[in-house]
Amino acid sequence: MEAATAKEGESTAEFQGSDIEYVSYGGEHHLPLIMRLVDEELSEPYSIFTYRYFVYLWPQLSFLAFYRGTCVGTVVCKMGEHRNTFRGYIAMLVVLKPYRGRGIATELVTRSIKVMMESGCEEVTLEAEVTNKGALALYGRLGFIRSKRLFRYYLNGVDAFRLKLLFPRPELHSSLDMMAARNENAGRIDNVPSGERSLLQEIS
Amino acid sequence: MAEKVKVPINPSIPSGEQTVWADVSSLLDLACKDLRDGELIHGENFNLFAAMSALEIMDPKMDSGIVCTYYSVDEAIESGAAPVPLSFDRTLDVQCTIEIMDHLLACEATWHKGHSLAQTVFSCIYLLKPDRTASHALLHSYCRVIRATCNLVVSVVSDARTHEEEDLFTMAYGLPLKGDGDEKCLSMLHAVEETISRQLRACKAPSSKKRVLEDIETLQTHPDLEEDYCKALLCRIRFRKHFYHVLASMRRSQGRGFELARKHIASCLSELDSILKSSEFLRSNARGPCKDGVEHSTTATGCLPIGFDASLNCRLSAPTPPRSIKILSWRKAIEYFQKLLHDLDIICSYSLDPLLEGVLRFVVEFQKFQPDLVARAHLQLLLVQDGKLYGRDPIFVVISKAAALPEVPRNHDIQKNEILVQLVQLVISLLKILCANAAWQRRKLGKILHDWRVIYIQLELAFQKDLGEISSILNDEKLCAKISKHILIWVEEQTYWIASRFLILGFELELYSPSEYCMVYWYIYVVLIKLAEKTHLKMLTSSETGKRKGRKKKDSLKDLARDYQIPPTVLLLQCQIYLAEGLTMRFIQHFELLQKASIPDHISYLSYKESTTQARSSNLDMHNCFKDARRIAKELRSSFSNDQERMAELRRIEQVAEHNGVALNLICRLGTLDPSLKVYFEFCHHPYFATAVVKRS
Ligand SMILES: CC(C)(COP(=O)(O)OP(=O)(O)OC[C@H]1O[C@@H](n2cnc3c(N)ncnc32)[C@H](O)[C@@H]1OP(=O)(O)O)[C@@H](O)C(=O)NCCC(=O)NCCS
Repeated sequence: MEAATAKEGESTAEFQGSDIEYVSYGGEHHLPLIMRLVDEELSEPYSIFTYRYFVYLWPQLSFLAFYRGTCVGTVVCKMGEHRNTFRGYIAMLVVLKPYRGRGIATELVTRSIKVMMESGCEEVTLEAEVTNKGALALYGRLGFIRSKRLFRYYLNGVDAFRLKLLFPRPELHSSLDMMAARNENAGRIDNVPSGERSLLQEIS
Repeated sequence: MAEKVKVPINPSIPSGEQTVWADVSSLLDLACKDLRDGELIHGENFNLFAAMSALEIMDPKMDSGIVCTYYSVDEAIESGAAPVPLSFDRTLDVQCTIEIMDHLLACEATWHKGHSLAQTVFSCIYLLKPDRTASHALLHSYCRVIRATCNLVVSVVSDARTHEEEDLFTMAYGLPLKGDGDEKCLSMLHAVEETISRQLRACKAPSSKKRVLEDIETLQTHPDLEEDYCKALLCRIRFRKHFYHVLASMRRSQGRGFELARKHIASCLSELDSILKSSEFLRSNARGPCKDGVEHSTTATGCLPIGFDASLNCRLSAPTPPRSIKILSWRKAIEYFQKLLHDLDIICSYSLDPLLEGVLRFVVEFQKFQPDLVARAHLQLLLVQDGKLYGRDPIFVVISKAAALPEVPRNHDIQKNEILVQLVQLVISLLKILCANAAWQRRKLGKILHDWRVIYIQLELAFQKDLGEISSILNDEKLCAKISKHILIWVEEQTYWIASRFLILGFELELYSPSEYCMVYWYIYVVLIKLAEKTHLKMLTSSETGKRKGRKKKDSLKDLARDYQIPPTVLLLQCQIYLAEGLTMRFIQHFELLQKASIPDHISYLSYKESTTQARSSNLDMHNCFKDARRIAKELRSSFSNDQERMAELRRIEQVAEHNGVALNLICRLGTLDPSLKVYFEFCHHPYFATAVVKRS
């Protein structure tokens, strides 16, 4: 659902990966932190209701990343039944500019996805602007495929991709850790897009 | 909340039919006291959509009310935002009028490109109050023709309505889209055009004749500028006139107005040229400095136009947060209209091919130009009118021809069969979907693929079960069996055609990453083989009907390729099959070696894996797909020498095949030895068959 205001680069902060602390949404005191981050980096304006909708119904799916007490990144998600599949949905993902490119977003998203998986989700989806190279690369590395293009999805007239990650079927157990392993080679295909799969089944 | 609260009914606001207005402040106060900080009341029906549609009042990012300059159109007019006339200096008045015309053109293009009518064309205050301009013939007639044109366009798009893209486009509630007397816009415009033509003639006449014409009032006050201002206005007015005619003629049923429309299209294009040419003169006589550079300006003069305020009706625009939208520049707007007119011209010059195969090819070719909504809506309305192709040919007749059904005696209504009625509907929705934007088209194709599969099974059952019934209608069991066979083959062929289109559109939409190409090409390969088989089978059965040869076709396609009888259409598919196969097997195994791309363990991959493993173990100097593709493509040239579009496809295939053949050789020789070798894909020769590029990093 997000549309990012794209400005890359600027100054980067010096820090160690181990300096970053990840916490699950812990209550009302976290809400302003999330709102400030999202407001700053994403172009879509969200009402307070939207934030509350997510963090109150699925607090276990939202995470915050802190560096020395400052919130520098966050992920907000939901899950639920969607056309007979139990589906997770990543609504917002933001990392402050100086802290980007160090794996914070990957860690945040991976944590949410893990909870979704444990809660019985069969897939995870989200939307990203077709121009948001950073987000597309990030999710691509996590094994998401572009399942659809959504015509002029955002209010600014830009198309979006619907990204989707299908969890491996239980009988095929491939671990999530592998999926998130950062030094894995890029360009792995983790999953078959559902559309194509049913196509194949029909054909063969 | 045990206490009872009384809510005063507010009599100052009149009640509606089942509603009254009440002051709920006291109630809210109590509710607030009841809620702790951070508590949320969550009604079951309060879903994400409700949360996202909620507004925070006084937040400028959301509250459309607070970003307005004026509270109402009337207030804007009272403040002098849209004077009539624009100036009492007649030259200035002409300049400002031209700027309004230009900006309106830019607004119109921006609307066509996907923004709301309210925030684009109807940001013009003059349009919002149709009667105010009555004393200004030029502005008045221009505003009328704009409204009438918008109306025509809205009706085309809403008649073609298939999906949400059109909803925003046609949303016009609260806008005075229909002014009283707008239907007379053309005659009013004509009168204005006549006057200005006379003024132009007068100023060009040699001075000896001038006296005779003296009673004609000039357009404006500078004699040396008169000619150019007359011309600048005339081309703008004439463009509107012809454009209106284009749209009106195209609405005539069965394409009857196309010939006339083409003449008006040609006139529109030449008026657009004149409009462009007028910019030099207009800029050099502009009433003020150009604000944001000519490139970005929405007018030829570069000045901001008088009489526009986009914030005035942002409350009408949509139930979304207000966005200040960017109006296209004047130059971009002209480019847009040129493109639109060219797209419309393609439609108008279409031969109305009665064969479905030709229709499908035409739509696919047309979509390659990436036409915008308005052009696509026109195409859709042409294809499907009153449930008939072109409003002319009943779809069942079209299907009968496509499936080469044997002649059914007239009086037998097998088309009343319920499933055949459904089949007709499927063809209609296929045609409509193919006219949609690529993103939506692909999604929908993916969905109707299932419907086509289902109807195949239904047909099969119906023909088995009902054979008695249908054949008793037809009184001929053999005829019935034949019909069943032909229809079934044809339905399968269509299904694979849809599947191939679904897969191919993924390239245009950038849905595939290079790491997925191997899989995608493999699917394409499989689907194309099936498609070629069905097409071939269809052609054989239909010629069989004539010849009664009863030959079996079980040979593999590779054998078929050597068969001299294979029709060119099938051979063309065969070329594409070779390309897809080549891109699947050969590269990927090397791509894989180089990039260490692992193929996941997945059930649906079993057959795919099998085939790649086979390819790996097989010898490299085995049968080369790219060579075969090239060979057949070359041979096919003579079959398609009269078909430009297919000749172009053959050329593209040859190029991809040639380059990939070379790249493949290179990789074979160096691949495993040279780890610095990088292989990547480009779409430089073909829109969806990739060309491999080998580079040393
Ligand atoms: C997208 C965003 C959350 C990424 O945060 P991040 O912490 O920098 O991401 P990570 O460090 O975990 O990135 C992991 C991988 O993603 C890819 N990636 C991230 N940003 C990228 C960029 N700008 N360009 C290219 N690839 C990028 C890289 O492959 C990266 O791996 P690498 O660093 O080993 O090459 C951040 O850029 C952001 O907040 N952007 C603005 C908001 C936004 O766009 N949100 C997502 C909307 S769907």
